[in-house]
Order: sequence, then C-alpha cells, then structure tokens
Amino acid sequence: MRILVVEDEKKTASFVRKALQAEGFAVDVCHGGDEALAAAAATPFDVLVLDIMLPGRDGLSVLRQLRERQNRTPVLLLSARGEVNERVEGLNMGADDYLPKPFDLVELVARVRALTRRTADNKSTVLRVADLTLDTLTRQARRGGADIELTAREYRLLEFLMRSAGRLCGRMMILEKVWDYGFDPGTNLVDVYIKRLREKIDADFEPKLLQTVRGMGYLLKEPS
Amino acid sequence: MTIRTRLSSWYAAIMFIALLAMGALLYNELVIQPRRDARRHQRAQHAEHHPQHRDHWLRMDPDIYEDVTGIVMWCGVPAALLAIAGGWWLMKKSLAPIAALTAAAEKITAQNLAERLPRARSGDELDRLTDVFNSMLQRLEASFSHIREFTLHASHELKTPLTVLCGETETALRDESLAPSERERAASQLDELRRLARIVDGLTLLTKADAGQVTLSLEATPVDELVRDNFADAQILAEPLRIRVELTACEPAVIRGDRHRLRQLLLNLADNAVKYNQSGGKISMSLRRVNNLAEFKISNTGPGISADVLARVFDRFYRGDPAHESALEGCGLGLSIAKWIVSAHDGTIQIQSAPGQLTIVTVRLPLNDAAR
Repeated sequence: MRILVVEDEKKTASFVRKALQAEGFAVDVCHGGDEALAAAAATPFDVLVLDIMLPGRDGLSVLRQLRERQNRTPVLLLSARGEVNERVEGLNMGADDYLPKPFDLVELVARVRALTRRTADNKSTVLRVADLTLDTLTRQARRGGADIELTAREYRLLEFLMRSAGRLCGRMMILEKVWDYGFDPGTNLVDVYIKRLREKIDADFEPKLLQTVRGMGYLLKEPS
Repeated sequence: MTIRTRLSSWYAAIMFIALLAMGALLYNELVIQPRRDARRHQRAQHAEHHPQHRDHWLRMDPDIYEDVTGIVMWCGVPAALLAIAGGWWLMKKSLAPIAALTAAAEKITAQNLAERLPRARSGDELDRLTDVFNSMLQRLEASFSHIREFTLHASHELKTPLTVLCGETETALRDESLAPSERERAASQLDELRRLARIVDGLTLLTKADAGQVTLSLEATPVDELVRDNFADAQILAEPLRIRVELTACEPAVIRGDRHRLRQLLLNLADNAVKYNQSGGKISMSLRRVNNLAEFKISNTGPGISADVLARVFDRFYRGDPAHESALEGCGLGLSIAKWIVSAHDGTIQIQSAPGQLTIVTVRLPLNDAAR
C-alpha cells in the first residue's frame, strides 16, 4: 500500500509519515500542490493525504484537477480551518474524508486504513473476538455461553470496536461512528461508555479484551 | 419631562407674557391715555374752580383693575393654551427626526454594526448629528471586526504548532521503549494539548458565529427524539456519581433546526448538570409544548449559583468559582456556545438558580409543526 502525503509544514509531514510507516504503509511526501499533481500522475497511490492550505496551488484545487483527470484515488483532506462549509465543499468535490487540524495520529491512521480497505470490509454477520461474539442480525452479544444485554448505543459501540478489532480506535472516530458527532462535544462520554461496556463484556471473564491505551484510544483484541 | 413638554411650556409662558405685555400696551394706548387726557382736561377746568383739591387725580380708577384681569382672562389664557397646543405640534414636528434617529440607533447592536442611520439630507443640525453618529458606528464596527479578525487569525496561527505538538507527543507515546513514568507524562501533556485544541476550536467557532460566517443546516428536526437520546447519554454520564436522572415529560415537538448543533446543545447542558451536581444528586429533564414554543428544562441539585455569577455564566471563559472550577475539565466556552446555538435558532435560554437551590436551565425554541 502506497500513500502520498501532501503537507507543506515539514514537522507535520514528518510525523504523519512516521505514523503511517509504522502501520506498514509505504509513504511519499511532497510539500506543494503542483508537485503533488505531478507525483499523482506518475505513480498510482492507494490514498492521498492532502492538506488544504498549500503554497501555490491549494489542496482543493489539486483535488479538483485530480478528479477532472479521472483520477479516483481516495483522498483524505486535512485542514487547519476546520470549517463545516469547507468539509462539505471538500466532500462534494470528491474527497472521501476530512480531518480538521489539530488531529490525533490514531485518527489519521484509522481513516487512511478505512480508505484503503473500503471494498474489503468484513461482510460476516457474526463478529468474533476470542470467545466474545456479536450477531449483527439479531443484535445479540454472547461471551462464555452467556447472553449479554446491551443498550442500543452500547451495541453500536461494541459493533464498531469489533469491526476494528486489533486496531487502536481514537475518541473522535468513535464519536463520529457511534454517536454521529462531527465535532468533539468536550465530554467524557466515550470513556464512560467504554467503562460500562467493559463491565459487561470483561468483568466476569478472562482474558480481558477491551483495553484503554492511555492518551491514544481503545483497543479490542485477544491478548497474544 | 421630555424636551418636547419642556419647550412647549416655555413657549407657552413666553407667549403668555408677550401677549400680556402687548395687551397692556394696547390698553395703555387705547384706554388709559385717552382717559387720562380727558381727566387732565377736566382737572384743568376743575382747578380753575377748586384749587384746594389738586392731588385728587393721582388716585387710580378701580375700573383699571377690572380691565387688567379681563385682559389676562380673555387674551393671555387662550393665547397660552393655543401656544401649548401649537408648541406641542411644532416641537413634535421638529423633534421627529431625533425620535427616528433614536429608534434607528436603538436597533443597532454588536450583531448589526454594519447598519447606518438614515440621513434626512436637509443639511441641518440633525443631519450633522446623524453623520457624527454614523462615523462613530463606523469606527466601532472597524474595531469590532479588528478584534474578530485578530481572534480568528490567532486561532489559525495556533493550530499549526498545536498540530505539531499533538503529533509529536503522540509519536513519542507510540515508542514501545518509553518508561512508564515518561509515558504518563507524555499522555498527560497530550490531554492538555487536546484541551487547548478544544479551546481554540471553540474560540474559532464563536468568532465566526459573531461575524455571521457559520451556516447552520436547518431542517425539520424532532426535538423529542434528540431529548430522548440525550436522556440516555445523561444517565450514563451521571452513573459514576450515583446521580439519578429522570425525564418527566417528552412531548412530540418539531422545530426547524440544525440536528448536530441541537445535539451539541443538549449534551452540553446534560454534561453541566452532571459536572455541577453533587454525588447522589438528581437531574430532571422535560420537553413540553408551550404555546408555539418547544420548552426544554433541565434541573440539577448542585450547590446553586449566586446572583453575581449567574449574571455572567454565558460570558466567554468566565469561571464562576476558580477553586471549584479547576477540578473540572472543560474549555470555559460551553455555555457561550450553547447560547449561540439557541439564538441561532431564534430561541432563548435562561438559567434560574440561587445558592442552595435547584438550578434550572430553560431553553425555548420556536416550533415548526407544519414541517411534520
């Protein structure tokens, strides 16, 4: 998987590259709009991470040019302005996702990953992590042979975590997918829900599956 | 007393005195002088016959007193009344531009500083006053937009270093070889950086809202659904503090609103009701239709808010009680944002509280049932 990161701020470009490389992606970096267009024309990338504010040709213009040239590479837009209108404008222009700055690297990585495996999503109706199962048709969770009662919100949270099993999930991503919040409401809602969910799926069982990674997010996986 | 009343009375008094003086002069010319001449004539004749009664003519004739009272009654009083009415009308006419100016100036607030007062174009003093007023507004508008631009630029400028700081701290956290104490320090720094990022975001949002640059996506929104959702979230938020949450009423109500912003508003109010509550306390919510408004109430059994704090709770970055507040997470902009969301929906928000009493927040939003 090869990713092109277009970002003029050198330090930002550097840690974005490191984080994506740590996930096993091959990463190219360029610092300007025209340079990005040339690179995208020369090499087929799997995902473009595109900052909107660039010297010379800006990110939105790069995106427009790409789409005019029938280049369908998934694009994740980054922006320091974080305006709702800008998000809508970007998505209308053919961007696949939008992330306002400052962002969490966990979020960025998760979004890039989501863009690379759009088509290869888990289609199975029963999700499984160790002995925890979730039937997405009957909405029934079971562990160790016992049924677990979940509220609607807890179900959505568990489903999201199980679909991303083994990968770190950031707070913003959870708020977006489970609560449908496009912004940080500034509460500890996610932490409180995670705690409750943990009591239901982990308290009476071993091994513990739902982990909190301090400062980064949550992880549902079978300990190796 | 208005200028109009005052000037009218002065005008009436002057008319009264002027007419009185004129009446007196006329009376003197037409009545007293001829009489005096006649008497002098008589006296001249009389003196010739009775030289011992020389000083008799000096005494006033009682007729004169009656005549003076008559002048006051029949000339002064009607003139004064007429002057009051005329003066009233005259003043009303001449002060009308000032009244219009006042009404126009009253409508100007921080939100519509770009508006200007209408000029009569008569070139008079009032036109000059309007000009002065308008140029003052212009300066006011300029300094307001200056502050807005400054805040906006400042928050943009802060975002780049914040992005770098967050990213690099997170990169450091990913290092497996990090010692637990260092990991904790980095994680705690990251928490604060994220809080800073939320403050900057909130500031940007409010500044843009002030400048009218935030567009809401308005559509028919069932508030009762949002309230029920929010009730579920509030219960979860309140659970760790053993706070009981109840929903006493949830009547169906549709308003024209921005779903996301309304959810942000409700969550913010629920979150405050938990944060400012005491453990083992209670939160009560209700949604009712009152006339053509959707009325959402949320109360909490916290320590209550004193009157001087209450007057400022919607102010940006206002912290009521620093000692209490420092223990709480938050960006200090929650209620300012809540207030903006409510007014962007043409609604009102008010908080009722006193130390030791229930704190009740009431939000009223106009219903839009036609859209149902």
